[in-house]
Amino acid sequence: MSTLLECRDLVCGYDKPLLQDVNLTVGAHEIVVLLGGSGCGKSTLLRTITGLLPPLSGQVLVFGESLYDLAPEERNQLLRRTGTAFQQDALFGSMSVGENIALPLRELTKLPQSMIKEMVRMKLGLVGLGGFESRLPTQLSGGQRKRAALARATILDPQLVFCDEPSAGLDPVVAASIDETLVQFRDTLGITLVVVTHVIESVRAIADRAVVLAGGRVCAAGTIAELEASTAPEVYGFFHRVPVAPHATPTTRTITRGIT
Amino acid sequence: MPPELATSVERDGRAAVVRLEGDLVVPTARALYTQLQDIARRRDVRSIVIDFARVGRIDSSGVAAVSLVGQQAKRSGRTLELRELGEHHRAAFAMSPRKVEEPPAEPPPTSFEALGDSMIATWDGAKALTSIVKDTTYQGVLVAGRRKQLPAGSVASQLFEMGFNGLFIVSLLAFLIGMTMGFQGVTQLERFGAGVFVADMLGLSMVRELAPLMTAIIITGRTGAAIAAELGTMKVRSEIDALATMGIDPNRFLILPRLLAITIAGPALTLIAMFVGMLGGMLVTSLALDLPAIAYWGRIAESVTLGDFAHGLIKAVLFSWIIAISGSHFGMRATGDPSSVGHATTRTVVVSVLSIILVDAAFATITTIAGGGP
Repeated sequence: MSTLLECRDLVCGYDKPLLQDVNLTVGAHEIVVLLGGSGCGKSTLLRTITGLLPPLSGQVLVFGESLYDLAPEERNQLLRRTGTAFQQDALFGSMSVGENIALPLRELTKLPQSMIKEMVRMKLGLVGLGGFESRLPTQLSGGQRKRAALARATILDPQLVFCDEPSAGLDPVVAASIDETLVQFRDTLGITLVVVTHVIESVRAIADRAVVLAGGRVCAAGTIAELEASTAPEVYGFFHRVPVAPHATPTTRTITRGIT
Repeated sequence: MPPELATSVERDGRAAVVRLEGDLVVPTARALYTQLQDIARRRDVRSIVIDFARVGRIDSSGVAAVSLVGQQAKRSGRTLELRELGEHHRAAFAMSPRKVEEPPAEPPPTSFEALGDSMIATWDGAKALTSIVKDTTYQGVLVAGRRKQLPAGSVASQLFEMGFNGLFIVSLLAFLIGMTMGFQGVTQLERFGAGVFVADMLGLSMVRELAPLMTAIIITGRTGAAIAAELGTMKVRSEIDALATMGIDPNRFLILPRLLAITIAGPALTLIAMFVGMLGGMLVTSLALDLPAIAYWGRIAESVTLGDFAHGLIKAVLFSWIIAISGSHFGMRATGDPSSVGHATTRTVVVSVLSIILVDAAFATITTIAGGGP
């Protein structure tokens, strides 16, 4: 299995380190979930992996290339092989749903307009938003906006897609359909996904592997079965809904597959 | 019926036994707290016993009152004992806060550190501003060399918004300022029999100074604030991050079209303001001095040269760049907080107006030294 994403001794944060010693690899055609409580640094790690927040130290390798050692144009070229769906959906409010999804195609390819329209229709159909091309993002529900954001993130058929909290704040039915769409992306388009979430039902539904973040570092990683069986307090608490004392620091580190 | 709580205090040696009867809830908790505090302060009391046998409901205010008295007693070396607690009383007391080891708070910065922080923030701002100017210029060169393209229709739509939609307000203000200047000029100059020179004064002041400055201030309020608010909102909504992760340069996609549009719209509006301002002055002079329009425009043609127009239009371009770059810089520096969009807008207006007036003063100084008049 080829490695699409690798973090080596990564330290990330804004002014001060929020996460330290992050070492992880993501192979092709798998769904890896970054799991952890609110404020544990999941989204910060995702911003670092997606090229938005330079690491304080360490390396992010995307398709084997060190993301932050590339010149801006080379980095842009590399990022075009990835897609990102943001927690806030980040759809452009001044554009229709169709225009939003077509944007990467219009800006980054020389495909004819007719082909772009067809591709947009196809992707919207895949996420269950067929016929929504001309609507504005403000005319969509929260779940529909998340779906539209997923369609935009995958419009260039990237090999690697990052999703920040795709099912957070949605009702269980809509959340389940988003999870189903993510699995469909992997199964039908062969897309590798790195998904940030704290919704444990979603983790069980989509993840091949999960990486648990707590106390400013990776405290566990492995398959869902391995993590469900873990006795480390942070992992056990997460999977079995047991509260952990505030300000507690991790006491056990369960190193399993996927962490080097 | 409001809840009531009756208390009786009995002495048992050096212990004070407080018997409660009723509900220990918000309406009754304060009186009990005061009474217990008084008891805890008495020198002849070494321990306080509270009897809960006849207490009905107890809420968090009751728990807080007893908990605080317990802490006060402990500090002064006394003891507090709770007797005859029922199941629901115990459950309520289980809510009382336990001592949790809080992470050490960061000490507030010293004045020296605060100065350092503000210098670092200023340096970061300067770096970000330089980066926007450098990257946008680079993207402009790529677009000019046809190696990159601007988003289709982006310059035209910005031009329509900045130029056409601002035409009415710029014209109205220029016309009114021209009229005001005309009234002032006629009143003052006619005293010296030089009323006809109002046309010269109006022409020169509108073309060289007033039209560029006034138009720039209107553009700052309309367009500069709009650029900051649009980009700030996009930043807060992660739309700019989305562009970056798509591999699309936000400077080319968002800033360059605005910069190009304002470079056209600013001087165009200024040129219109020059003529409309002179038109306002003409209306006044023709009414007050019976000066024919042809004579008015003839005097302007004699006194205002093409160099004066160039002077005004060059300033208009500089002012437009200041506005676009300020709006873009502050908009792009908005953080995740929606109020940062408001701050970005305010800063854009303040910094733009200040910079415009400074540049105007510098321009006047340089051209005067160079012999071209202020």
